[in-house]
Amino acid sequence: MRPHVAFLHRLAWRFTGSVVDAEDLVQDVLLKLYPRGEELARIDQLRPWLAKVLYRQYVDFVRQRARSPVSGPAEDEQGDGDSLDAMAAVEEGPDGHAERGEWRERILAALGQLNPEQRAVVAMHDVEGYSLEELEPILQAPLGTLKSRLHRARQRLRALLGMEPFAAGERVRR
Amino acid sequence: MDCRLFALQVDDWLDGRLNAADGQSMQLHLDSCSCCCSGYHDAKELRAQLRMLPAPALTPGFAERALAKAAAPVAAGRIGHRAVLGMALAASLVLGLGVAVILFAVRPEPVHTVVLTAWQPESVRLMFNAARPLLGATLSLSLPENVEIVGYGDRRELSWKTDLREGSNLLQLPLVMHGPAGGELVARLSLGASSKTFRLKIEVRRADGAGALPALRASV
Repeated sequence: MRPHVAFLHRLAWRFTGSVVDAEDLVQDVLLKLYPRGEELARIDQLRPWLAKVLYRQYVDFVRQRARSPVSGPAEDEQGDGDSLDAMAAVEEGPDGHAERGEWRERILAALGQLNPEQRAVVAMHDVEGYSLEELEPILQAPLGTLKSRLHRARQRLRALLGMEPFAAGERVRR
Repeated sequence: MDCRLFALQVDDWLDGRLNAADGQSMQLHLDSCSCCCSGYHDAKELRAQLRMLPAPALTPGFAERALAKAAAPVAAGRIGHRAVLGMALAASLVLGLGVAVILFAVRPEPVHTVVLTAWQPESVRLMFNAARPLLGATLSLSLPENVEIVGYGDRRELSWKTDLREGSNLLQLPLVMHGPAGGELVARLSLGASSKTFRLKIEVRRADGAGALPALRASV
């Protein structure tokens, strides 16, 4: 597992935006997988498989955190219809980020305002470079769902970053 | 091609998912529409920025520590980074516990149940929030018959000395239930003549996934 820890950590950080949460997620995955060493050795494409396990752990993490007394679920008004869409991050609004100079900080802040599923698909597709077809088994969603999820996520990112909407009156949907 | 169709297809175009003819239509529209041109360049810019987004390097030693915990889950204290813990219970020591998630103690009323899936290792975390450093404390665990700390086989009693730093200290236990019956985990924290016992009810997760909230908090 050692060669894959950095990979898992990177993905976990892209999902959560937090080093602490990323380390917790990776630790949970390692605890879960360590007893299954023989099974792992038989898997040809281990990284996509690990990414899938990590994503499921992330989903559990988000769900359980949403039930905790501190970080209750926030509502996402127009999600994909999936359960996690009801657990969007707390909104800050784009204005609070408008003054940030660095693109990186602005983008990270905008990513933090996506709901967990949108964030995951952007992280895997637009940042890590996975194709939507590759993401179907990892994120466990059909291609059409992933496409629409990605489209909405990008729309929202552009809006949060104050970017130009398309002329057709691109509606900013969360 | 109109602006509406352009907006609908621009993601596919940038992702290389349009055929040549549709791509040509997109290009023709782009060349003649300044409004869509602006949005298009922003979309391209966003994509480029996302692709270059760096990720932080691993914390030095994290991989080794994480693998060591996974290989031999020794109850080693994890030093806290959860400042929220101290807010409501600053003068007390708090034991928080959750399954595969950290739960933060803010409200004083304790919950004394976690839910595990039978035969599946799950990470249970005990969070201690110490108002002051507790050096040389003894932590003892007593497990119910059908619950095992992964890697510890039949051992149901564990005890060790540990130091708690001021603030949050996280202790992670990989537990597995061997069967459908739950039980009670007892944790006892002692320092000198003082001690505190925490009791945690462990329930099995039902087939429908329902069960009590996976949390326990108690204070001393």
